[in-house]
Amino acid sequence: MLKLLDRFSNLLNRVLVWIGGVFLCLMILLTCANIFLRTVWFPIRGTFELMGYFGAVVTAFALGYTQLSKGHIAVDIVVMRFPKGLKRVTDAINSILLFIFFSFATYQIARFATNLKDTGEVSETLRIIYYPFSYATAFGCGALAFVFFVELLKSIFQKENAR
Amino acid sequence: MSATVVGILGILILLLILFLLGMPVGFAMGLVGFCGFWYVTSFKAAITMVGADIWSTFSSYGLTVIPLFVLLGYIAFYSGLAERLYEAAYKWFGHWRGGLAIATIGADELFAAICGSNTATAATMGAVALPQMIKYNYDNRLSSGTIVTGGTIGTVMPPSVVMIIIGLQTEQSIIKLFLGGILPGILMGFLFVITIVLMCRINPSFGPAGPKFSFKEKIRSLTNVIEAVCIFVLIIGGLYKGIFTPTEAGAAGVFFALIATIVTGRFTWNGFLKGIMDTLKISSMVFFLVTGAIIFGRFLAVTRLPFHVAEFVASLPVHPYIILSGILFIYLIGGCFMDALGFLVLTIPIFFPLGMRLGFDPLWYSVILTMITTVGAITPPVGVNIYVVKALAPEIELSTIFKSASFFLIACIVAILIIILVPDIVLLIPKMAYK
Repeated sequence: MLKLLDRFSNLLNRVLVWIGGVFLCLMILLTCANIFLRTVWFPIRGTFELMGYFGAVVTAFALGYTQLSKGHIAVDIVVMRFPKGLKRVTDAINSILLFIFFSFATYQIARFATNLKDTGEVSETLRIIYYPFSYATAFGCGALAFVFFVELLKSIFQKENAR
Repeated sequence: MSATVVGILGILILLLILFLLGMPVGFAMGLVGFCGFWYVTSFKAAITMVGADIWSTFSSYGLTVIPLFVLLGYIAFYSGLAERLYEAAYKWFGHWRGGLAIATIGADELFAAICGSNTATAATMGAVALPQMIKYNYDNRLSSGTIVTGGTIGTVMPPSVVMIIIGLQTEQSIIKLFLGGILPGILMGFLFVITIVLMCRINPSFGPAGPKFSFKEKIRSLTNVIEAVCIFVLIIGGLYKGIFTPTEAGAAGVFFALIATIVTGRFTWNGFLKGIMDTLKISSMVFFLVTGAIIFGRFLAVTRLPFHVAEFVASLPVHPYIILSGILFIYLIGGCFMDALGFLVLTIPIFFPLGMRLGFDPLWYSVILTMITTVGAITPPVGVNIYVVKALAPEIELSTIFKSASFFLIACIVAILIIILVPDIVLLIPKMAYK
């Protein structure tokens, strides 16, 4: 069961980071197209707005993958010297605290998105709905919370040689 | 318990414990900020603040500059641009004693002009220059130290990710910060070259002279530099002339670098996709560092701790430069124990208002903070550049790399002292540009 959850977490975050990569390419294309078109004709309306929304997707969707590849910087000089048993305890404490924190964050951003959807809020320039991007940000935070949940289970249940 | 005491406890106890538990810096700042805000106000206010800050930071147009400049650096890295820059510098300086090390610093200067990260600069130049220096029997104490410290120029020379973060956190013009970093970046490179020359004079076996190239070959090698110069001129010129916003400059730089890579036949899908993946990882880390610092900053603001600290320190009967020395010492020590960028975003909410209260020029002060931050990348035991070089050359002892970096550390400190004594080194170009 734990293996299955781990695989699912890996797969989910890998898919998300690829989607983030596509949005990053879109950001480059959109900005360059805007620079070119405003020089020769007229600017693309709402570029700044879209860039912000795309940036949110890029960042949120890469959160879990970055954690899986230990890309978030940490002060590990003390922890590295801990005996294995104590290291497991500190990992479990970190995972549970961050699981709770990101679950709250996910809930709050999703609530905000639902509010945007219910009130029919639209962006300032393009006048388009933007709650899908807020939901995407919540989803990215949720995927990170899931990574911490799996890490918590691993630090509690997984045998030392399997970690 | 007063709000200020809660703020102090938040920093000293909670944050320190979480750091020592190995929790990622950005997450720890966010968590402590959330808990502290909850304690001082209410749970509802705290959770609303966290949700709103994550969304507003992630969707901020200003921050979209980060992934674009990071990607630009990775495209340069994977397309082999660094190798060509090194080749050019090698043909010009390689025949001198310590010439390969000087060539590495020269190539660092050029590469840093399009890459905003010290680790990327150290990794790139390490992969290119270390094998050459080993081949020509350079002493490990000179070769590893050159790579480790040469990378620090990447943080000071524009475009710099650290400067972008400082600019966004302190609401300063990023282009002015970029312009302010040009001369200090050149000064650092110059002092590193002096260090190399002195080391080779004291012990000539440190860096034996390499082969000499004809003047024609030297001139021909300059074609390798054109691409980097064009990208630098495009970015800085476009920003200076007001043609681009910083984000647009990053995107235009990426686009130009991609076109140049494709035209010269060096484009590979593998390199491009690796660059995208690395960019996403770095950007996500940096974005959450900034978000965590914002959440933590809100907690500090509600406790009024930064204002009390600024008022207290500014009222001390000592010269502001003595206080500045204290701040720099804290950064130096802090950089020894945690990642320099993490330490910077953590401390800016406290030390920036303090610097302003002391009457320092924000631009000059920011460049000094950038420089001291980058020194953290070469100090033991958490000097990130040291581990980059160790990963590239596992046969070199970690203690040797630390020892070699310490020779160059003196040059870094001298550079900072010169900037403190002659602020115009930072302010001259921005003043000329905006007079």
